[in-house]
Amino acid sequence: MRPAAATAVLGLALAVGAPTAWAVTRPEVAAGPPVQRVLERTDVAPQAPPMAPTSQAPPPGAATLPPVTVRDAAPSDAPVAPPPVRLDLPGLGVTAPVDPVGIAGDGQMELPEDVDRVGWYRHGPQPGADGNAVLAGHVDDREQGPGALFPVRDAEPGDEVTVTDAAGATTRWRVVSRELVQKQVLPLDEIFARGGPPRLVVITCGGPFLPEFSSYRDNVVVVAEPVVDGAP
Amino acid sequence: MNSTTRTIGRTAGVLTAAGAMALVATPALADSHTATVSVLHAVPDLPVDVYANGERLIDDFQPGTLTDPLSLPAGDYDLALYPADAADASGEPLLSAMDVAVPAGANATVVAHLTEAGQPALTPFVNETGDIPAGQARVTVRHVAAAPAVDVRAGGQVVVDGLTNPNEESLTVPAGTVNADVVLAGTDTVAIGPADLTLTEGATTVVYAWGSGDAGYELAVQEITGQHSAPSGVPGGSAGLADESGMPLPVGAAVVAGLALAGAGAVRLARSSR
Repeated sequence: MRPAAATAVLGLALAVGAPTAWAVTRPEVAAGPPVQRVLERTDVAPQAPPMAPTSQAPPPGAATLPPVTVRDAAPSDAPVAPPPVRLDLPGLGVTAPVDPVGIAGDGQMELPEDVDRVGWYRHGPQPGADGNAVLAGHVDDREQGPGALFPVRDAEPGDEVTVTDAAGATTRWRVVSRELVQKQVLPLDEIFARGGPPRLVVITCGGPFLPEFSSYRDNVVVVAEPVVDGAP
Repeated sequence: MNSTTRTIGRTAGVLTAAGAMALVATPALADSHTATVSVLHAVPDLPVDVYANGERLIDDFQPGTLTDPLSLPAGDYDLALYPADAADASGEPLLSAMDVAVPAGANATVVAHLTEAGQPALTPFVNETGDIPAGQARVTVRHVAAAPAVDVRAGGQVVVDGLTNPNEESLTVPAGTVNADVVLAGTDTVAIGPADLTLTEGATTVVYAWGSGDAGYELAVQEITGQHSAPSGVPGGSAGLADESGMPLPVGAAVVAGLALAGAGAVRLARSSR
């Protein structure tokens, strides 16, 4: 009699408790302020003073013409800054080689086929330059399994990120926001912005998997800002 | 001097009309009060001072140089070029253009150059500033040299044919570096180049063919940035290993086990109470 009641109670507790515990402990879909709000902030440039425009228009009616700067117009080789070659998120155990990538045939950002590698959008800013440096990789692949950025969905504000360039120089960043955003409403113009304070945006896939499309519904977007303390 | 002045007077007359027309046909993109104007000097061997509305805009402007984009209040401008070594704004201008309309929002490049016949001229060109698809670059080629029609080749292939002074042609191409040269139209006679040109993604690269048979022909390059578009999305996974749509299997199994246990307990409870 007693053991039977205990079994029933225990069973119910298990049936209710397991999913509750899972729901409570699963990672939140977002951490920190919303990605879009972070990306629209322009007042957080700790090391980049606002750039003075090359020339300022005088008020209408003023006679003074703007100062003029002149340069040689002969074709020249554009200076090429060393591209990023490695991404590290030590807190999540992520370390991945980085390849410069462009645009895929379908107009989306190109990603390395190898899920262990991460792509840097080479048409946008370098990590550390004004604007958003975008790094992205496959979260997984049917044949290759989980990708290098699989753990990024657990990134938390404050996590440290390091990017190393081809010359061996590093830029250090701190995560300020992580969010799961549906691909249809991903703020692409804000994410790929080429102006504004320097930021690092790390993107992979996440959310529900849609087998009929062989893809995920959402993108995991992590935004990081430069570490300014200058500590080694 | 007299004949020069007459020639220039003629040039200036043509210019005023052409300038007003060219600049008016511009879509407004910037704010409502200013226009963006650059000036390129492409008359060989002739340093000048450039005056706008009687005020000196550029001092000692050398051939083959380009100003950075100037933000000017919209309005009509009288432009005049004097020899750089003359006393300020004295004597006859080498070239002038009266009442050049610079409408708000325009993006233009005013080019001092030679006509096909070798006469100095001022030509305002309207720069295209519409959005460029992600991954692409726009290239605009302008013929401002004292030379007949030319073809422009990239990687040995003709991409612009039969371009005459002072005309232009634009193409949208994948961003990257191209090896380009300029040949006399319909021939393999190379007039300029070859040169490696960097076509920056999301920007317009304007390439000018300028100079003369006597002074030599050269390329000048102007880059107008800020017309980029974002990619259409970011892909990223095909296996579903990171799927977050439902409960993971162990949790589901625990629920089933729990329910089974509860069920068994309830059945025993029911039996024993009979």
